[in-house]
Order: sequence, then C-alpha cells, then structure tokens
Amino acid sequence: MNPTKTNEDKEKAIQLIDKIIHEPARLIIVAHLFVVESADFLFLQRQTGLTWGNISSHVRKLEDAGYVSVEKEFVDKKPHTTLKLTDKGRAAFKEYRKSMKQVFEDLPE
Amino acid sequence: MNQKINIKEIARKAYTSYHQDGILDISISSIILAFAIMMFTDMPWLGGISSVLAMSFYAGAKKTFTVPRIGYVKFPQQRVKRINIGLFVLGLLSFAVAMMAFVQTTGEGAPSWLMFLIENYMLTIGAIGTCLFLLAGYSFRTNRMYTYALLTAVLFVFGHFIYFPLQYYLTVLGITILAYGLAMLVRFIRKYPKATETADA
Repeated sequence: MNPTKTNEDKEKAIQLIDKIIHEPARLIIVAHLFVVESADFLFLQRQTGLTWGNISSHVRKLEDAGYVSVEKEFVDKKPHTTLKLTDKGRAAFKEYRKSMKQVFEDLPE
Repeated sequence: MNQKINIKEIARKAYTSYHQDGILDISISSIILAFAIMMFTDMPWLGGISSVLAMSFYAGAKKTFTVPRIGYVKFPQQRVKRINIGLFVLGLLSFAVAMMAFVQTTGEGAPSWLMFLIENYMLTIGAIGTCLFLLAGYSFRTNRMYTYALLTAVLFVFGHFIYFPLQYYLTVLGITILAYGLAMLVRFIRKYPKATETADA
C-alpha cells in the first residue's frame, strides 16, 4: 500500500468531517435523535445531561443547517416543541460516522 | 464530554428509561388481580372490563407521571411493529387452539389433549401466563418480565402439586407484581422530579 496515498485519503476524510455534527454537544443530540423518531427538549435533557440553554442553542444551529426540524404544537392547551432529525440530518450523521471510522481505522494502537 | 458514543447503547437507554416507571407492571398486575377478585366474588364482568381499564390506566399514567418527568418521545415504527407482531402471533395461536378444541369437541366429544389441559389446569394457566410474560419481555425489552415469567412458572407448577384455589395463586402473583411496580414508580418519581423549565416559555 502506498503510504502517501493513505495519508492523502486520511486528509480527505478529515476534511469531509461535518463540523456541525462534530461538536460534542451537538453530536450527542444528533445521536439521540437518530435512534428515535421524534422527541422533545425534556427528553433530550434527561438523556444527554445537557442544560436547557445548551440544548436550545445547539438545536438552533442544527435547525439552521437543516439537520433538525422543530415542530411547535399545543398539547392540552400548552405549547409543546418536538424535535425530529430530518432526512438530510440522518444522512449527514451516517456520513459522519463513516468519515470518523475511516480516520481512526488506520491509526496505530 | 469524554463518553463514548455507542448508538445501540443510546437506543437501549432511551427505550428502557421510558419503561422504568413501573406503570406497565401496575397495569399487568391490575388485570391479574381483577381476575382473582372475579373468582373470589363471582363477578365475571370484572374480568371483561379489566383489560380495558388497565389500558386506559396505562395511557393516563404515562401522560401523568412519565411524560412530565422524562419528556415526550416517539420510537421508530420498527419497535411498534415488533409488539404488534407479538400480539398477532399470540392471537393467531389462541384462535387456532380454540378452533381445534371447538371442532374436535363438537365432532366426537372432548378430545384427550383438551381433557389433559383441563385436568391439569394449573399447568395450562401457568404455561399461558409464562408465555405472555416472555412475549411482553421480548416486545418491551424489559428484563423484569422474564423474572415474572419465571415466577409464574414456579408458582403454578407449585400449585399443580399443592392444592389451593386458583385465585390464591393469582392474588400472590398480582400482589408481587403490583408491589414491584409501585416501588419502581416511587423510585422513578424521586429520580425524575417534574421539569420546571420549558423550551416554550
């Protein structure tokens, strides 16, 4: 195997890493939304251990990127926000996992 | 944040935390106890409405206790499909056995296998109960259902050899599950107080 080519591949894989998902708090939010169909802020807070404000700001960034859709509705006359990973977000997360695997695969023990 | 991202573990945790409130256990125990009371008091209608009441209780309690504490979540349809398949298979099996018993009974009197099941009713009921708990454990991915399956099997095998009326065994089983469910609910309420913050404020 040509080591130069391997390095090039690795650099390319690193460049392909999605910076929006790569941030740790956003990564854990996306990972949790990946395994469910939809969830609300409270569920994410309980599962991730992140604060309300933290989740709120990161969700806004994910929403701006088109990775998360935010739906507001009324449940028992109270406003309720539901979060869902969009198809784009789902594909981006899958791609991110693939890229990360590629980066770490060739690292020595 | 130095924790490892494990998708399977996240999915497992998300699902099990939703069923750690003991509400499923309380609902199941209420059906068992309703059947026991039905046999004690000779009120057959109680057995009929117990399932409807238990389902209403389950939905209401989830809304009252679980959602305000750990939030709302909708799981992928795959999981719901798994529960539906389980219920469908069980319904189909029950129907097949009932049909077979009906056809053979009307034709040439009660068949020997049916007589065996009736004579050893403790073992029959125990086997049905054990299968139901195994199915619930598989469908809801809750390990304690397997413990209830084992408890049911042990209790009814015991009942086959040491005679006490069936309702006593149902009462013991129902109260054990109810006690565990209530303990889980209390622990759940203590662990997850109602959220005060809201993203919609």
